Amino acid sequence: MVFPTIHISCPCADSISITPKPAKKKSRSHKAAEEEESEEEERFDPRSARSNFSLFPLESLLYCEDCNQIRCPRCVHDEIVCYFCPSCLFEVPSSAIKSDGNRCTRNCFSCPICFASLVVASTRDDQSGPYVLLCPHCHWSSSEIGIEFEKPTSITTQLAQKLKTVSTPSVTPAPSAPSDSYFPTISITPTISLPPNDAPRAPPTTAEMYQRLKVHYASQRASTGTDEFGSSNALSRLIGLYSSTSLTVGGPKPRSFSGGSGISKPLIGRDRKSEWSEMDHTLEIQNEDTTIAQLRKQGFAGTTSTAQRLNQGVPGPLFTQDVRPLAVLLRTKRSKRCRACRHILVKPESKVTTTRFRIKLVAMNYIPSLSISRLDPGSVSYNSLTPLTTHQFLLTVTNPLFDAINVTLATPQRTPGRFGTTVTILCPDFEVGANSDIWDEALGTGDAATGGKNTRKGKKTGNTGTVWDAGRNWTTVVIEIVPPLLPSEYTTDEAGGKDSPTEDDYLVQVPVSVRVEYETDVEREDGLGKEVKERREHTYWSVLGLGRIGKFGAPTTPLAVGTGGPVDVLGALGPSGVGLGRSSTYNVAKVGSSPPIVAGMVGMGVAGGLGKRNLK
Amino acid sequence: MPPKQTKGEYIETDTGNKVSRKSVILGSQNIILGGKTIIQADCTIRGDLRRTVAPGQQSGNVAIAVGRYCFLSRSSVLRPPGKIARGIYSYYPMKIGDHVFVGEGSVVEAALIGSYVHISKDCVIGKFTIIKDCVRIEEGTVIAPNSVIPSFSVVSGRPGVVVAELPETAVEGLERA
Ligand SMILES: [Zn+2]
Ligand SMILES: [Zn+2]
Ligand SMILES: [Zn+2]
Ligand SMILES: [Zn+2]
Repeated sequence: MVFPTIHISCPCADSISITPKPAKKKSRSHKAAEEEESEEEERFDPRSARSNFSLFPLESLLYCEDCNQIRCPRCVHDEIVCYFCPSCLFEVPSSAIKSDGNRCTRNCFSCPICFASLVVASTRDDQSGPYVLLCPHCHWSSSEIGIEFEKPTSITTQLAQKLKTVSTPSVTPAPSAPSDSYFPTISITPTISLPPNDAPRAPPTTAEMYQRLKVHYASQRASTGTDEFGSSNALSRLIGLYSSTSLTVGGPKPRSFSGGSGISKPLIGRDRKSEWSEMDHTLEIQNEDTTIAQLRKQGFAGTTSTAQRLNQGVPGPLFTQDVRPLAVLLRTKRSKRCRACRHILVKPESKVTTTRFRIKLVAMNYIPSLSISRLDPGSVSYNSLTPLTTHQFLLTVTNPLFDAINVTLATPQRTPGRFGTTVTILCPDFEVGANSDIWDEALGTGDAATGGKNTRKGKKTGNTGTVWDAGRNWTTVVIEIVPPLLPSEYTTDEAGGKDSPTEDDYLVQVPVSVRVEYETDVEREDGLGKEVKERREHTYWSVLGLGRIGKFGAPTTPLAVGTGGPVDVLGALGPSGVGLGRSSTYNVAKVGSSPPIVAGMVGMGVAGGLGKRNLK
Repeated sequence: MPPKQTKGEYIETDTGNKVSRKSVILGSQNIILGGKTIIQADCTIRGDLRRTVAPGQQSGNVAIAVGRYCFLSRSSVLRPPGKIARGIYSYYPMKIGDHVFVGEGSVVEAALIGSYVHISKDCVIGKFTIIKDCVRIEEGTVIAPNSVIPSFSVVSGRPGVVVAELPETAVEGLERA
């Protein structure tokens, strides 16, 4: 983990905004008051299970001007602007998406083994045919599964033909079993029995099974007008559902399923269930003997990995000899809407290759950004904060707005969690200058001149109540933490595993509430009222990941960073091998430095060895 | 990075490019640097590998074109891609956009790299790769030759595949003055 980390909490999990609310517009002041109220009464716990889903880096947050609220990926709606192939970068019309299975039909294929994109290569020196699909990374070739192409163009159609001829007669030499014998009891109950053991034929492929099912249902529909499925209508819908989810081209949209006439909802539910039970059965129909025999022959290297199998569809092939080159999956460009008020927050230009946006309301243009660095860079690693020692960090608040802001930082005295770290922000209330034009400032015009920067300019004293430093649109304050002493592995071994700190307990995560207040000119469409100032405020919770608590009085080497290292050493030495006092014996043994290491020296001595990280 | 950079380690060009004296620049007449680009020590730039042309035939002289505000970290390599075409092994020009960062020890043989592209350290960008604007390549990624990486992609692994999308703020995040 790379420290420090800064995440911002989106409150959508706790607020109503996640569900679309009626489009009545609340007055700003009312809403602000409501927010204030709700935020003041609760404290943010970065360790609660829910926080995992609400914390985002500032870069991935949007901002809704109408709701006056940050919006995270959870509380926006995505709308597809266009589909395109990530390999050839051609746009695919949305009408072709369903029929093409969401894949590119322009000769773009990915390697079934390593997923790199395949190239069409000639098998001859003179660049003539036959051609193969070749992986430039792992050198897998479609000739390994017996597929070669006559011409280097329209591979998709050629491949479709080859797969039809290759898979049906040759891979499964005996598909001769008529569907009637294959479904001997199907008319009584819609489950599939295992195939008879007499024929030593290869198991049917999924595609084959699908075909048989389709034929079966078609015949059933023809023979009986109504059966246990209710009506032939329901059946055709069922088949349509299969068609759209399988690789087979065509079939009605699944949407028509739910919109069907004359089918009550519970019946739909029952149909769905029967689908799934059939799916399970098809998975069971595997001739184990042939699989085992093949496994013996191919060895472990001939089997597919989980990723490879999943990539090939469900159920994927068990052996690499059965994989198929897959057409590249399409990607989308999406616009994003606020879930609460439906306003568009992001709208990309529809051209595939452009990176421009027509609308882009990102949070970093609305709320101040935070950054963290150590006051004493380099002396202590973020990965081993010495317990019971004061660590000073510089917290810089940068203002993206064109108005000066008043920032109030609030943090619990002790961080939540079993082993709380004591936190102090030396100057929690300060001003941050406007993000005025640099030229305005230079010319002494605009708001910047009135900001009176010199009065705010910190003296880098680190005294309580004064800012450390300030610039045009940023202010830096000092934040101090005192990490607690965690029970080490020694004591926990004696006390039992219950109290042993987990990996998470070593992390110092400081929740900081950032409250912003400012006055801004109200913009009006009529151009009047320029003089009217409006007071606005915004509060958000952020979580600063300031590092990992190290050992008290024990140096941490890159080898022993975290919790894993020392445990291994202990194990090697045996429980009785070392005096179990809180000495750094094992570390000395590990580091190999002869003099006993004193706590004070630790930081200095180790710093050189650790890769030090400066934020700036 | 060395603790103290000796004075005059960098040669500064008229357009504000800073090229380390300890870098290896071959065929510099075939290299264009857009300006404000920094080339650190031990970088290798193979401007000498340019398209082979039949005698008497004129062709573009540029082997490598690098845009503005690019940063080539220590020990990185820029090498125009080459292949056999009509029986002759020939190199093809490499074009790199603005605000492109190439991490330490990475080897780049791409045909085209857009703007706002961050290539982390120890990457290999295969021959004739095309990387569009706003892309981040994670550390240690090996991109297969002839790959195309669309905008707003995060690429990782060996071979490098798109593992995530970058947010809308990618340009701001990848910009470095
Ligand atoms: Zn949210
Ligand atoms: Zn394509
Ligand atoms: Zn491959
Ligand atoms: Zn909204």
